[in-house]
Amino acid sequence: MTSIEVRGLRKTYPGGVEAVKGIDFDVEHGEVFGLLGPNGAGKSTTIGMLTTTVAPTGGSARLGGYDVATQPLQARSVSSVVFQESVVDGALSGRENLELHARLWGVESERARRRIEELTQALGVAELIDRKVDSYSGGQRRRLEIARALVSRPQVLFLDEPTVGLDPRIRHELLDVIAELRARDAVTILVTTHYLDEAQRLADRVAIVHHGEFVALDRPQALLAGLGEQILEFRVEGGVEAALQSLRARGLAGDDAFGLGARVTIPLHGRAAAEALRAIEGERLRASELQVRAPTLDDVYIQLTGTCFGEHA
Amino acid sequence: MSATSEALALPLPRARRARRANALLTLARRRALLTSRTPRQIAVPLVGPALLALILAPALKKATGGLHSHIDYTSFVGVGAIGLVIPLSCVFAGLSVLVDRHTGAQRELLAAPIPRYYLVLGNMLVALVLAALQAVVVVGLSALRGGAFHITGAGVAWFLAAALLFTVFMYALAETVASRVTKEEDFVGATPVLAILPFFFAGALFPISAMPGVLAAIAKAMPLTHALALLRYGFIDPSGKGLHDIWGMSNVTVEAWLSLAVVALFAAAMTLISVRVFSRSAVSR
Repeated sequence: MTSIEVRGLRKTYPGGVEAVKGIDFDVEHGEVFGLLGPNGAGKSTTIGMLTTTVAPTGGSARLGGYDVATQPLQARSVSSVVFQESVVDGALSGRENLELHARLWGVESERARRRIEELTQALGVAELIDRKVDSYSGGQRRRLEIARALVSRPQVLFLDEPTVGLDPRIRHELLDVIAELRARDAVTILVTTHYLDEAQRLADRVAIVHHGEFVALDRPQALLAGLGEQILEFRVEGGVEAALQSLRARGLAGDDAFGLGARVTIPLHGRAAAEALRAIEGERLRASELQVRAPTLDDVYIQLTGTCFGEHA
Repeated sequence: MSATSEALALPLPRARRARRANALLTLARRRALLTSRTPRQIAVPLVGPALLALILAPALKKATGGLHSHIDYTSFVGVGAIGLVIPLSCVFAGLSVLVDRHTGAQRELLAAPIPRYYLVLGNMLVALVLAALQAVVVVGLSALRGGAFHITGAGVAWFLAAALLFTVFMYALAETVASRVTKEEDFVGATPVLAILPFFFAGALFPISAMPGVLAAIAKAMPLTHALALLRYGFIDPSGKGLHDIWGMSNVTVEAWLSLAVVALFAAAMTLISVRVFSRSAVSR
């Protein structure tokens, strides 16, 4: 069953800025789908269109079968959002925030009470639920917001950069919590992130977004498999393009080798690392910082877009 | 089956009506909770009008001898102070909307499966209750300082209708401005124009017949002038002197209905504008 269905979705802001340039994707029930890209890639605009706070300029999108443009109330009734910034009412207690969400989403009060009990236990916020949210730490707030989004048992949960601004320990804890909830509730999750490891850890499939377009859409393992099991990476003086041309001409690098800044990356595709290192050293490229390692989604992103996340973020 | 899909599976019109009424009350409850935890939002708008009723009105009555008519000046200004407390109360309520937007809380509400104009109406319900309480306090203080009130059933009805419709107008105006401005400073800067300037034109401290013709003509076009004339007609001036000053007709009941229609028209038009402006500002186009 398809929970999210997007066809040719497009957004051009006044002034001609094309934030999303006609994207297509489906997300199946219970799947975790990652939108991966740097700030400004179009991820939040996509979430905005799916949650009906940004009007699309073209294409269509359906949540749980409801068209977001023509059936916005129904589309919102089957979904919940955890926003990038904290959007809880700080002057209210955690419980009051959760109860308000439950009422707005039409959850019957006794059912809401049980659900709040269950979720606050699962997310580790049960002991602070009657305290004012203003007294919560960043991680506690984020947990509360995830609990709030799940109170209405949404078919589709949007997580917009859920771990931004959290310290690494809390970030990893939260990723575990999201993974557990996903396993337990079989909810469809669309998560946007600019943390590559996060997408790799959480998502069943990932779309890499670059300037409002999908440049790749596949399982993280499949995207990584394109680069083989190992890559050779080194720093070169005197121009990356010239180095790549020379290496390709001598058969030491394939078409999928790429460079960024002063750094050259060559997928080894089963070739022995020691042999490749010897060949590079014999090339008089003034190469330094040579290393052989497993590829990451960062490498996939650089290969596909010619830029790295840091250049946008 | 999820709770939401269960609700959607009920007989639609009845379930939808019940859910929407519940959503509206939930939004009002949220605003009421937030307001109750910000006591300054309740107290600050009361200070000026309370001082008008407690100090200025009796002092001016003593110094000037009052209105030299059958209307008691202390109660005249006591009711006039409502023309300050309602706008100030509504402007403060409008500021909360801006705060909601800046803290991000509004985004959660916009993602809820409810018509977005409910956010305006939910806040308006609380603004109405708050303004009513503040008006009662101002009238009470005026009575404590010796203001004379002639309260009848019909008078209370005129008073409530005028206060209700004027509060709707003022809240809708504040909400519209809050939806249009981006900075809290800009909204605070608009407060004197929204809440205080009309007070000086609308005959809050003196009859509009005491002003030059041009200013009186401006006053007659303002909803506050009509609202104050109706509030006084209801509580202190059954002869409708203020209404005569506006309409110059012989039948006070007709004049009262006409003034009520004016306030209702302003309230309805401003509510439509505020809903439209809010709904447009809620969606990025």
